Amino acid sequence: MIQVSNLSKRIGDVQALNDLSFSAHDGQITGLLGPNGAGKTTCLRTVFGLLKPDNGVAEIDGIDIAKSPVSAKQQLGLFPDPFGLYERLTPREYISYFAELNGLSRREAKLATSKVIDKLHLADIADRQCKGFSQGQRMKTALAQAIVHQPTNIILDEPTRGLDVMSTRVLRDILRDLKNQGHCVLFSSHVMQEVAALCDQVIVMAEGRVVAVGSPDALCQQTGKASLEDAFIQLIGTDEGIAA
Amino acid sequence: MSNKIISMIRKELIDAARDKRSVMAGLYYAVGAPLLMCGMFFLLIGQLTSPEDLNIKIGNAQGAPDLVKFLSSRGISQGDSEDTKDIQLVISDNYAANMAKGLSAEVTVIADASDEKLQISIRRLEKSLQEYSGEMGSLRLIARGIDPRVMQPITLNVEDKATPDSKAGMILGLATMTMIYAVFISGMNLAIDTSAGERERNSLALLLSHPVSTWEIVIAKITAVTIFAMVGLVLTLIVSKFAYAFVPWQELGFAVSVNTSFMVMMLIIGAPVAIMAACLQLFVSFMAKSFKEAQSYITIVLMVPMMLAMAASYNIAPETIQWLPVSGQLQALIEFIKGRELPLTQLAVSSAFTLAIALSLAIGMQKSLKSEKIVFGL
Repeated sequence: MIQVSNLSKRIGDVQALNDLSFSAHDGQITGLLGPNGAGKTTCLRTVFGLLKPDNGVAEIDGIDIAKSPVSAKQQLGLFPDPFGLYERLTPREYISYFAELNGLSRREAKLATSKVIDKLHLADIADRQCKGFSQGQRMKTALAQAIVHQPTNIILDEPTRGLDVMSTRVLRDILRDLKNQGHCVLFSSHVMQEVAALCDQVIVMAEGRVVAVGSPDALCQQTGKASLEDAFIQLIGTDEGIAA
Repeated sequence: MSNKIISMIRKELIDAARDKRSVMAGLYYAVGAPLLMCGMFFLLIGQLTSPEDLNIKIGNAQGAPDLVKFLSSRGISQGDSEDTKDIQLVISDNYAANMAKGLSAEVTVIADASDEKLQISIRRLEKSLQEYSGEMGSLRLIARGIDPRVMQPITLNVEDKATPDSKAGMILGLATMTMIYAVFISGMNLAIDTSAGERERNSLALLLSHPVSTWEIVIAKITAVTIFAMVGLVLTLIVSKFAYAFVPWQELGFAVSVNTSFMVMMLIIGAPVAIMAACLQLFVSFMAKSFKEAQSYITIVLMVPMMLAMAASYNIAPETIQWLPVSGQLQALIEFIKGRELPLTQLAVSSAFTLAIALSLAIGMQKSLKSEKIVFGL
C-alpha cells in the first residue's frame, strides 16, 4: 500500500509536483500515466525518499518515508530508470547483493537469488558479467533485483521502455503474478496499451497534478471515448507530448 | 559492523578487483615507484662516491717520479685523452736536486682560477700536493732525529656524531615518501569509480533507494578504498624490500633497509593516512559531476599531501610540519629508519589530526549523500 498525500516539489523553476495525492492498493496494479515531464519520475523518487518534498507526505504501508527511511524502504522494491546495473558483476552477484542490503543473510540471499533467477528464466546469463547485456537481459536483471526480497510494494519506472514484444510479455506476466500474490504494484508509463492491458487503476497525471483516477474502462466512460488514448487526451486537455 | 556494511564492502572489492583500471593504478605505482627510486639512487650514488679520475697535464713528470706516483694514488694523473682538465702541473728542472739537498723544491700549478668548473679540481690537486709536502717534511725531521710532532702544535680531532643512517636524510626521506604516497595512488581510481562513477552509471540512486543508511554506505566505501590503499602500500613495501637490496648502499656508508620492523611500523603509521586519503578522494569525487571531473580535481587536491611529504623529506620547516598530517607521520618514519627514537607525541598529534580530517570529510560525505544535488548531479 502506497499512500501519497498533498505532495509538492519544486525543482529549479519548475513546479514538478503540485499538491499530488493518490494511493496504490495491495493486490492491484496501479499505473501512473502522464505525458513526458508530467512529474512521474519525480513522484516515484519522492516516494523512495530520494527527493525531499517541499510539502506533503509519502507513506509505504503506513510508514512515513521521510521519518523512517530505512524501514519504509524495507517494504519497497524499485525497478529504476535507468537500470543502474553494475557492469562488472554477474546478475547472480548483483541480485544477491541487493537482497543482502534488504536484510537477508548471505545464505538466504543466495537462495532467494536462485529462486528469482529460475522465475525470470535468467539461468543462461546468471553467471556472466552484465557488460554487453541486451536491453531485455538488463530489464530482467533489474526486475529480479526489485523483487528478490519479496517486498510488499514494487515500483517500476517506465518498465517497458526499449523492450521487444517477447520481453514485454515476460514483464507483463510477472507483474500479473505479483498482483495475484497480493503485492502492490505501481508503475509509471506513457504507453497506453501497456496501461490499458495491465492496470486495475490508472492515475492520470499532468503538470504535477492528478487529473483523473479510475480503471481504464471507467476513464473511457467518464470521457465518453472509446479508447484510453482518446480518453487520456481529453483528460489532460492537450495532445502535446504523447508518445504512444 | 553490520552485515549490510560487510556486503557492501565485499561487493565494492569484487567490483574493483574486476576493474582493470583500478587494479593497474595500484600495481603500476607499487612496482614502478620503488624501481624508479632505485634507478635514481644508483645514479646518485655513482655521482657521490666515486670521484672521477682527475686527468691533468704534468710537465717534466720524469723529474719527480715519487710525487707523480703519490698523485696517481690519489686519482690524479697525466692524461692525454679528451677529458683532461685544463690544469697544468709543472715540475721545475731542479726539483730532484733541491729535494735531495733538503731544500724547497718548486712545482707550479697553472690554471684559470676564474673558471668555476675547475675550482674543485684545482683544490683537490693543491690538497694532494700539501699532503705530499707534509709527508716529506715529516720524513726530513725524522732523518734529523726530530719528532715531527713539533711541527703540529695542535692536533685537530673532529668527532662526527652522525650515525651512518642519519647522514642519509634526503635519500631516506625520498624513499619513505614514495612508499607512503602509495596509499594516495593505489585507492584513487577505486575512489572515483565508486562515487562519481557510481553516479554516472546511475547505480547511486538505486543504492540509495534500498534500506541502507547513508552512514553505512559511506563507511563501506571508505573501508573498501582504504583496503585498496593498504594493499598498494604492502605491495610497494614488498617491491621496495627486494629492489632496495640491489642498491650499493655500502658506498654511501648507510643503508635503506626495508626490514620487517620498518614494514610493520610503516603499515601501522600508514593506516590513518590511508583512511584520510580514502575520505579525501571519495569526498572530492562525490562533489565532482563526472568521472573525468573527479580525476582532474583529485590530481589537484593530491598536490597538498605531496607537498607536505616533500616538506618532510627535504626537512623544510621541521618544527611545524612534524605536527601536521602526512608530514608528521613521514618524519616519524624517517626518524625510525635512521635508528633514532620515534617522536611519539608528534606522531600521536599528527595521526589524530589525520583522523580528525578523515572524520570531518566522512561527515561531509554522509551529508552530501542526502542532498538531491549530489545524488542526481543536478
